[in-house]
Amino acid sequence: MAINRIFKDEASEEKGERARMASFVGAMAIADLVKTTLGPKGMDKILQSTGRGREVTVTNDGATILKSLHIDNPAAKVLVDISKVQDDEVGDGTTSVVVLAGELLREAEKLVAAKIHPMTIISGYRMAAECARDALLVKVMDNKLDAEKFKSDLMKIAMTTLSSKILSQDKEHFAQLAVDAVMRLKGSTNLESIQIIKKPGGSLKDSFLDEGFILDKKIGIGQPKRIENAKILVANTAMDTDKVKIYGARVRVDSMSKVAEIEGAEKEKMREKVQKIIGHGINCFVNRQLIYNFPEELFADAGILAIEHADFDGIERLALVTGGDIASTFDNPESVKLGHCKIIEEIMIGEDKLIHFSGVAMGQACTIVLRGASHHVLDEAERSLHDALCVLSQTVNDSRVLLGGGWPEMVMAKEVDELARKTPGKKSHAIEAFSRALIAIPTTIADNAGLDSADLIAKLRAEHHKEGCTAGIDVISGTVGDMAERGICEAFKVKQAVLLSATEAAEMILRVDEIITCAPRRREDRM
Amino acid sequence: MATAVVSQPRSTASQTESYVDNKRKDDIRQGNIKSACAVADAVRTSLGPKGMDKMISTASGDVIITNDGATILNKMEVLQPAAKMLVELSKSQDSAAGDGTTTVVVIAGALLKRCLSLLSHGIHPTVISDSLHRASIKAVDVLTAMAVPVELSDRDSLIKSASTSLNSKVVSQYSTLLAPLAVDAVLSVVDPAKPEMVDLRDIKIVKKLGGTVDDTETVKGLVFDKKASHAGGGPTRVENAKIAMIQFQISPPKTDIEQSIVVSDYTQMDRILKEERNYILGMIKKIKATGCNVLLIQKSILRDAVTDLSLHYLAKAKIMVIKDVERDEIEFITKTLNCLPIANIEHFRAEKLGYADLVEEVSLGEGKIVKLTGIKDMGRTTTVLVRGSNHLVLDEAERSLHDALCVVRCLVNKRFLIAGGGAPEIELSRQLGAWAKVLHGMEGYCVRSFAEALEVIPYTLAENAGLNPIAIVTELRNRHAQGETNAGINVRKGQITNILEENVVQPLLVSTSAITLATECVRMILKIDDIVTVR
Repeated sequence: MAINRIFKDEASEEKGERARMASFVGAMAIADLVKTTLGPKGMDKILQSTGRGREVTVTNDGATILKSLHIDNPAAKVLVDISKVQDDEVGDGTTSVVVLAGELLREAEKLVAAKIHPMTIISGYRMAAECARDALLVKVMDNKLDAEKFKSDLMKIAMTTLSSKILSQDKEHFAQLAVDAVMRLKGSTNLESIQIIKKPGGSLKDSFLDEGFILDKKIGIGQPKRIENAKILVANTAMDTDKVKIYGARVRVDSMSKVAEIEGAEKEKMREKVQKIIGHGINCFVNRQLIYNFPEELFADAGILAIEHADFDGIERLALVTGGDIASTFDNPESVKLGHCKIIEEIMIGEDKLIHFSGVAMGQACTIVLRGASHHVLDEAERSLHDALCVLSQTVNDSRVLLGGGWPEMVMAKEVDELARKTPGKKSHAIEAFSRALIAIPTTIADNAGLDSADLIAKLRAEHHKEGCTAGIDVISGTVGDMAERGICEAFKVKQAVLLSATEAAEMILRVDEIITCAPRRREDRM
Repeated sequence: MATAVVSQPRSTASQTESYVDNKRKDDIRQGNIKSACAVADAVRTSLGPKGMDKMISTASGDVIITNDGATILNKMEVLQPAAKMLVELSKSQDSAAGDGTTTVVVIAGALLKRCLSLLSHGIHPTVISDSLHRASIKAVDVLTAMAVPVELSDRDSLIKSASTSLNSKVVSQYSTLLAPLAVDAVLSVVDPAKPEMVDLRDIKIVKKLGGTVDDTETVKGLVFDKKASHAGGGPTRVENAKIAMIQFQISPPKTDIEQSIVVSDYTQMDRILKEERNYILGMIKKIKATGCNVLLIQKSILRDAVTDLSLHYLAKAKIMVIKDVERDEIEFITKTLNCLPIANIEHFRAEKLGYADLVEEVSLGEGKIVKLTGIKDMGRTTTVLVRGSNHLVLDEAERSLHDALCVVRCLVNKRFLIAGGGAPEIELSRQLGAWAKVLHGMEGYCVRSFAEALEVIPYTLAENAGLNPIAIVTELRNRHAQGETNAGINVRKGQITNILEENVVQPLLVSTSAITLATECVRMILKIDDIVTVR
């Protein structure tokens, strides 16, 4: 087949109305897909992999669902991206952002049909977003100065985040875990030092927070099982054999004893290496690569605890928390920073033996051990906990807090509505549409809980016309309730990110008037 | 493929959208529940002492006969995601308690069936899920209240619970032999310093074809399922053995860097052969010098662990050789023998050796094994030698023994016993039913459903035993209502008796973990409303 024909055949172009239509439809489809996972009574999805093993993931996390989708539609991809960004930036609200963007586009579609120029819609949306943000800023609460209140705020936020996840039943337990872990970080947002270990067995309630670090490895044979005041050398070096990496290197000898000599020399080299490592004055050696029997024995003889084959993630974190460097050469003992910790010991969780490092140099470090019925539960629990940790660590820095349960959306919608009335011209339609899109979020929450959303939202709106109202949707009892009383809180940062990135994404998609699809690269094995 | 699913249905008009969507969700949920129930039904008949076995023929043509729920499900290769979750569930029960792998799946299946009818009444899945959770917490409380504390010194009780577990297996007729064996094995590895911890890896199960299950025994010491090396005509029985566990090879040297020996004429050839001999002889002399007379040699993939030549010399030096020891077995061996592995000939020192009174090769049936007995300062390990007339029996015996060991371990972890024979389930059902009447609204309705669902265990037990399930379950309910909380189904007599007196007991941990794990899994399945195909 001639090359230019392939291009003609498979590359395509869509213009104007059709292009816009395609992106609207794509984006809305994505939004609708994750819509049902929103809120405390949102549902989960099974993600079934088509790849090998046909693995199954059960999740409620918008970002995880979207990340793993096969997507062809370019506009849909934009939404997936904003959800990813939201995940990276603030960790939570990944579903809300997509739902809001989807709603904005749905409204925009109607406006476009009513012959309003996309640019007018965009500028209207911009004004509305600005106004909504200001409205939130006015209502925001900040308890940073009052440590006691701040902590209870954190607790509330953690509970709110977790209530929409699998952990909802034990949310007090996990909220406490997450708050404790984040408080240890003392303001840093580096979640690396919080390690999450998943061990099947037991139930979710058996999960616990442990100060220190746990490494899922075994201690070598004949080595001490418990070390106090450990000096740890973390390394990434070959402890099997020092191979000569030059291709084709070989020796020619003329007798057996020479071969034995070479073998002896190789052993000697390894012994030297081990001696150098021991020369660092350590009593614990953690290597990323295998440690063969011979060096293992040497370490055992020297009374050093040697851990082989620790994974990359493990040693990096270990180096971080114990305050050491990852070494790969051992010629200058003085320049290598050793890690320290008070006690290293073997512990048992469930059926497995793990190595526990306690009293580590970096006081922030801690490990959360998750227990649960199956891998599905554990994976999902980890994702949920990760969300909560992200939000909390963000909140520690930006302590502004809002109420939850659709309250912020209603506040914003009200302000935006006011603005619409004041604004002359076609823009006001767009602003009004924005307010409708905002209301769609509490509507979805109510719908997912199987409640009569039309009735509830009307009541809620009426409530919000009073000054200083704190009403939101109480999903548990299925009524309009006081959010402050029920302790449902959200971080301002999350809401702000949802608002801004959803508006931006909607804008971006609105601007599109042509889609050019390039011819895909040919693959031999396809069809 | 997935894009089609995602983008195609929603492009239609917005009016009917939500209606269409909801219908699809129901379909998926129903599909999930039905396929999960199908899995549960598949293992249902293997529940209880008169449960039947399944024959599984694997893709590779092997045949497995088993009664163990976890094994059956593991081999079933289900594809439907919800069904897969049930398989996972049974695995978790296996790792948490080791026994009750069938029970947990059957309970989950029964709960799901009830959920289906609740859903059809239009109750929101999260409401069902929440009440299920509350019910399971209550259930655990009820079970704990029923339990009887047990002491580890009370060997009889431990044996009773182990035999309850064994009674439902193929090897049930040997339960009088295997139950005490399992109890003793576990008790012997309990470390007095850490009485709550039992590591089942300290119990090694060696299977050997031949004989009958009756010949199964615990060996105070070590057993290798291998022959001693006969190539050089070395000794096969050594008394007062000094044992070395070596990780190096007794064979001509081989370097890591590529090497070749250049031979230019035939006189050199002779010299090389001689050198090789000397080299090996040198090593063996060093070994002999420490007084070692039994060598365990780790398997090596890089080069031959031993050559014919070295075996010959070792035989001459009256050293018994057991070769091809796997690397993962080393920890167990060193722990048992109280010796250290030796990775280099230079480190071959007397203090690294282990001592045993007798090392002996024994013929068992067709094969031979090596037994090490009378080990000095033996570590806290035990070896169980399982015998059986064919592979199927042997494998099943091993699985059953594993279950029995787990049961005893559960008792060590959580020292409570509970009655078996469906008694706890029917009591749960009764108490939860009573509790449901106190609850308000949907919750009460849901809890009542679950209470009824739990009757599936006694029902199935009776059914599998060929009794009239309805008559049995109703009578059982009646007896429990009169306050006989320990009344259960006596399958042997085919009637209802006080099951504690019949010595049918099981660890509390098995029952509680079955209930909590099953509910956790059901709740997860309930919450799913869509299956998305992804990369």
